[in-house]
Amino acid sequence: MNKIKSFFTSFIKKDATKTVVTSLWCALLGLILGFIILLIINARDAAFGMTSVLGNYLIFSSHSDRLNYFGQALAKTAPLIAMSLSILVCYKAGLFNLGGSGQYSIAVIIITLLGVGANMPWWFVLIIAMIGAAIWSMISGALKAFFNVNEVISGIMLNWIALYLTNGILSSNTSIWDSAHSESYRISSGSNSFIPSIGLEHVFAGNQIVGLGMILILVVVAIIYILFKKSTVGYELKATGFNPDAAKYAGINYVKNVLIATAISGALAGLAAVLNLQNGFTSWRLSSVTPEIGFQGISAAFLGGLHPIGIIFSSYFIIHISEGGSMITDLGFAPEVASIMTSVIIYLSGFTAFMKEMIRKNEIKDELNRLNREKEKKS
Amino acid sequence: MEEIYAIEMLGISKRFGNILANDHIDIRLKKGHILALCGENGAGKSTIMSILFGLYEPDEGVIKKEGEVVKINNPNDATKLNIGMVHQHFKLVDTFTVLQNIILGEETLREYTNNLNIFKKSFNFLNKHLFKLIDYKKARSEIIEIINKYDLHVDLDKKIKDISVEMQQKVEIIKMLYRHNDILIFDEPTAVLTEQEIQDFLKILKNLKKEGKSIIFISHKLNEVFSVSDEITVIRKGKYIDTLLTKDTSKEEISALMVGRKVDLNSKKHQKSIGEEVLRVEHLTIIDPISKKKVVNDVSFNVRKGEIVTLAGIDGNGQQEVIYGITGIKKTSGGLILLNGKDISKFSIRERMKSGISHIPEDRHKYGLVLDYTIYENSILDRYYEKPFSKYFFLHDKEIKKYTDHLINKYDIRSSNEGNTITRSMSGGNQQKIIVGREIEREQDLLIAVQPTRGLDIGAIEGIHHLILEQRDKDKAILLVSLELDQVLTLSDRILVMYEGEIVGEFKPLHVNRETLGLYMSGAKKAIVNAIKEGNDE
Repeated sequence: MNKIKSFFTSFIKKDATKTVVTSLWCALLGLILGFIILLIINARDAAFGMTSVLGNYLIFSSHSDRLNYFGQALAKTAPLIAMSLSILVCYKAGLFNLGGSGQYSIAVIIITLLGVGANMPWWFVLIIAMIGAAIWSMISGALKAFFNVNEVISGIMLNWIALYLTNGILSSNTSIWDSAHSESYRISSGSNSFIPSIGLEHVFAGNQIVGLGMILILVVVAIIYILFKKSTVGYELKATGFNPDAAKYAGINYVKNVLIATAISGALAGLAAVLNLQNGFTSWRLSSVTPEIGFQGISAAFLGGLHPIGIIFSSYFIIHISEGGSMITDLGFAPEVASIMTSVIIYLSGFTAFMKEMIRKNEIKDELNRLNREKEKKS
Repeated sequence: MEEIYAIEMLGISKRFGNILANDHIDIRLKKGHILALCGENGAGKSTIMSILFGLYEPDEGVIKKEGEVVKINNPNDATKLNIGMVHQHFKLVDTFTVLQNIILGEETLREYTNNLNIFKKSFNFLNKHLFKLIDYKKARSEIIEIINKYDLHVDLDKKIKDISVEMQQKVEIIKMLYRHNDILIFDEPTAVLTEQEIQDFLKILKNLKKEGKSIIFISHKLNEVFSVSDEITVIRKGKYIDTLLTKDTSKEEISALMVGRKVDLNSKKHQKSIGEEVLRVEHLTIIDPISKKKVVNDVSFNVRKGEIVTLAGIDGNGQQEVIYGITGIKKTSGGLILLNGKDISKFSIRERMKSGISHIPEDRHKYGLVLDYTIYENSILDRYYEKPFSKYFFLHDKEIKKYTDHLINKYDIRSSNEGNTITRSMSGGNQQKIIVGREIEREQDLLIAVQPTRGLDIGAIEGIHHLILEQRDKDKAILLVSLELDQVLTLSDRILVMYEGEIVGEFKPLHVNRETLGLYMSGAKKAIVNAIKEGNDE
């Protein structure tokens, strides 16, 4: 019994546990605030609204519907994981990747041209898209490394350049542009460029958008985890991120590391586009705002405690809530309400650090109380 | 007749959570005397002085002023009792002028006066109910009086951010005198000063004593303590050890009391034959990219096996830049750097380290450690890419742990969680031991140590001195940069004095005294020196 207890206390005291606990707290707080917002807007239907947000696909009565939509949630989670990892890699190297949207857009151009236009094999499209996004991201990196231009500013500017490039290139090409819907054609399930479903569609009631991508993203998570845990490359990146001066002292090449970090993170943002487009789920819509996923990735990365494994769960959570949110429009809630709720949760994820501090303070208080009690016992 | 004490602190105890910072400490300051309070870092010196100044409340004990028990609950009470304190980090407002800083909180006020009778009514209202004007004129004349009396010349109209640290300290002193304080507390006042400034400061202390002020002076630099104090109180690990008359004791006795065992800072090194040349710097010049000034100007010297060459000088005279130039952290504008006969001046930082340089940098937080890394990760900071620590891009945790544990044992690195401790949470001395251990274990031909004992206490300094001498005896070439004359004189085999980017003097420690060195360091004396010594001149 004591053994279990000591295991439990050491488990609680671990830093990783604290991060998980704080992330859970943030999510819970966000849900409560979201519920309050629902109450203010439409008190009568608020409870039902909340259950549909939380339940998402679970509110469907038919088993196959549930599986189908569960599959859809998973398929949408994968690209968000990729984007969060992109944020994470840069963050560990002391950079902030706000250019994820732009890198994503560049990958979209490549995928649409090579996939929809030329029907190239899926793995080839995947690789070229990732390389393209990586090169785009390295523009920011090079500006930072050689001229010390703030990567956040260059990233935002590159986002807009990439957005209008994508709009322009795709919509001017009639073979890939569906002008009736003002969006590009999707990659059809039979084409070469379609990521194979490897039989997973049978598990998810025929939902073909779930496929090899799911396994791919798990492999990528594992690679990033190992990169930072075990490799010299990760060691250099983290040293550069924590203390660039000490890294320089130790002979670590700053320029090289900034370029590596931005390249990896660009490639991951490109992977997000691959996982979104090459399963035929979405395509590029004519737009005047940069793709949302670049910013969702930031929230998911922080809510996931900036840890590759944590990101899997935080990404799924965010997708789950926003998917569920889109279902409550029938109850007389404006579609924006769902966005407000998810935003609240996402903003609270920024409180992770703050919550961690609160937990630490509580621990110190407990420890002091314990010491005092012991002293009293003695005297 | 019983002696009258300006201040008596009797049986003072103070506990912070689990730590007993002061354990029944007695301090007795005689009127018109200078009492030095000595102890290592963390001995509780600052705590007891903060209690006297009302920043902390003691858990036990009484404070008496001139025989009467007083209560000091906050700094205002202390000021009322004419107790003033200069903190280790000055409490000045950067953007205010000197004059404004001095009178801050003690402003002399005057009422609105005017010749415009029409507004008289409203001015009356303002005088009565709102604010008054600060009487700068009166304050200025009072302060100038103090300045002349104590010889504390500062420019009253300059802003604090534009004046030197030495001047800022004078401002702090004037601040106390302006408040008519007669008990003055100085918390490590010389830590931020250069050798010459320290001499001036000690003169000021003597002046203050002459005028009848009673002074408590916290320091662990024994030279200063012995040159000004009347009595010395030693505390160690929060406990009162002893109070001795300065004239009846010796530096050796006091340092032994401080550390709790005999220490030997002047560890007499035995003579050592000097071997062949390892580092040779010829006509090294470094131009600062922003100011376009030559921060290092045509510097030439060499370091040979089994020799400790020290670059001495007042902070900021180009010593650090010479090291940056040799290690590759800063770009050089001209000159040759030869390591074992090979020109490394075009090499990258890593290539230079690989060709035989170990480097203990001057700033352990900026350069020496990645503070958010664990001891494991920091102990391989400049060799993680080598075998056996990594192979094909993968780190070998087992080897890293083995090596780190070896460092921890050999260099007595203390931490809460062994190798897994995040270095940010460790004490300065132990952080420094990681760096010193790491660099010494790299076993390179040239060891560069820049202010290796900065901010450490006597026990730790002794350890690091010992390690550096041991390396010299192992036939390593050692290039040392130090701002402390004691260190320069005890460790060096050759002293090169730098002034404004040039080497202005070369000495053997046995043939030079502190005064001469001081003259060269301040630029009062100058020689043209080519400090390359050929062959074995010993």
